Amino acid sequence: MNKPDKAKRMEKAELMIRQVVNLPTIPETMTRVTNLLDNPDVELDEVAEVILTDQVMASRVIKIVNSPMFRPMHEIKSLKRALIYLGFRRIREIALTCSIIKTFEGKEGAFDIKTFWQHSFGVGIVSKIIAQRVRYPETEKAYICGIVHDIGEVFLSSYQSEMFQKIIDLIKGTCHSFAEAELFMLGTTHCELGLSLAKKWNFPLEYCDVIENHHSPQDASFDPMLVAIVNLADLFCSVRNLDYDNREWVSFSLAEEKSWEILQRYSPNFSELDVERFCFELDERVAEIEEMVRSIFES
Amino acid sequence: MSISESNFEILRDFIYNFCGIYFHTGRKYFLESRLTRRMEARCIKDYTEYYKLLRSGAEGPGELKQLLVEITTNETCFFRNTQQIAAFERQFLPELVETKKKIGFKKLRIWSAGSSSGEEPYTFAMILMEKRATLLKDWIIEIIGTDISEKVLAQARDGVYNNYSVRNMPEFYRKKYFKEEPAGTFTLLPEVRKQVSFTNLNLFDDTRMVFMKSFDIIICSNVLIYFDAPAKVKIVQHYYNNLQSYGYFFLGQSESLHSVNDKFKTVHFPGGFAYKK
Repeated sequence: MNKPDKAKRMEKAELMIRQVVNLPTIPETMTRVTNLLDNPDVELDEVAEVILTDQVMASRVIKIVNSPMFRPMHEIKSLKRALIYLGFRRIREIALTCSIIKTFEGKEGAFDIKTFWQHSFGVGIVSKIIAQRVRYPETEKAYICGIVHDIGEVFLSSYQSEMFQKIIDLIKGTCHSFAEAELFMLGTTHCELGLSLAKKWNFPLEYCDVIENHHSPQDASFDPMLVAIVNLADLFCSVRNLDYDNREWVSFSLAEEKSWEILQRYSPNFSELDVERFCFELDERVAEIEEMVRSIFES
Repeated sequence: MSISESNFEILRDFIYNFCGIYFHTGRKYFLESRLTRRMEARCIKDYTEYYKLLRSGAEGPGELKQLLVEITTNETCFFRNTQQIAAFERQFLPELVETKKKIGFKKLRIWSAGSSSGEEPYTFAMILMEKRATLLKDWIIEIIGTDISEKVLAQARDGVYNNYSVRNMPEFYRKKYFKEEPAGTFTLLPEVRKQVSFTNLNLFDDTRMVFMKSFDIIICSNVLIYFDAPAKVKIVQHYYNNLQSYGYFFLGQSESLHSVNDKFKTVHFPGGFAYKK
């Protein structure tokens, strides 16, 4: 992607975000939790207290802790126990996930928001699995980046729903990708839109890197390995029933993927991965992920 | 007899490592029922004991073969692998047509290796017949079905099928290309039958395998499981050599080439994967 093009896309994306009146902000609870966690002497009780001021967030944290993703031995019923189980590092990430879900909740979008989160959680979980296999140290970060990688899409679906529907119709039955159609119709893509949102919400730099470059891992500037992990997870989810209802036809060959090349460079043993078996195992996770998303959205 | 989670995983991994077929959790009951049949035949009461038998040097290989027969019997039907068919229609076929047009060679060659009673090659024949007026106008199409059993080859040539064989087929194709007989069977119309030539071939016969040249698509589903590791390597190498540089190779839906061949590259598509050079 050449630089001037990228600048233009970014400009367009920022303009589109600015034009939205009542653009949601990340809930106050999230900001308070983050600020608390930045303090090294923070007590768990203080964090619990803040989260409990937001009942929806509190109950979602408990649901996520009990999901197949974390698999506690016994069901965890109280928020405090959930926080102990998760540990400080994960609390920030789970709180962020809950906040993002909340931010886009209740908006009539061009696609069913549950399908969107199914794909996002799918990419999150698969990113974590790949991170473990390539021995990327921060597996939780891979998980969260997987979850947020497509926030640009959910923005389009929620705030440009008519246009987004046109984009969906345009690529239906063709081999064109969302990004190609978005560029054609809007002059920017969900990657730049996501990045503008992420900046506005003060997301950490590595999250921004993933959101911006998840379709072009070779352009990653901050953490190429993390971007490659999410790119690969996204590709696998798109062909193993964790996409947006097969709206775009995805096909890829690992040998030709930049992310595969990047991961092999960092983790030479990764090339021995039994890719076929990996796919079969992912098929088995689909029901679990659907179940988790269903439970998160149950009131 | 109900199989425990841990025994299921042990047997699943054993089968996968031996023949590359993966049983996902959703097919646990299927595997369980097939295992039960074999265990009854051998008067074995529990899974651990049966696993021991499968691993034993003397009787293991023979018993595993019997188990694989149980697992794959009646597995074939028309339009069996819908994701593979979708990928063929949406992506691989248009791509092949494009490539071959450029080199000015309007001929398509497809090989169904281990074609059994013919459902698989005939499925491809019907799909291609539908494109005769458009994408494949003026094209020469050759579809070859090979099997080692004369009995199934004769069935394939006859083209008479029961309800079970057509269970997965879209009604459109069933109505257009079959004659439903009063006895409840379905006879494939001669126009489809003549699209496929069936011939006897032992995949182990090197001299003949060398002459199965220049295919655009090779399909070999649920066949390799019957061969041991060195034989598999040899057969797949023949497929590799006989496939065009732009062609595609398909296995069965839950099969894998892992540890059999590392030259083929996987191509992933929604719900499945194929291989290319």
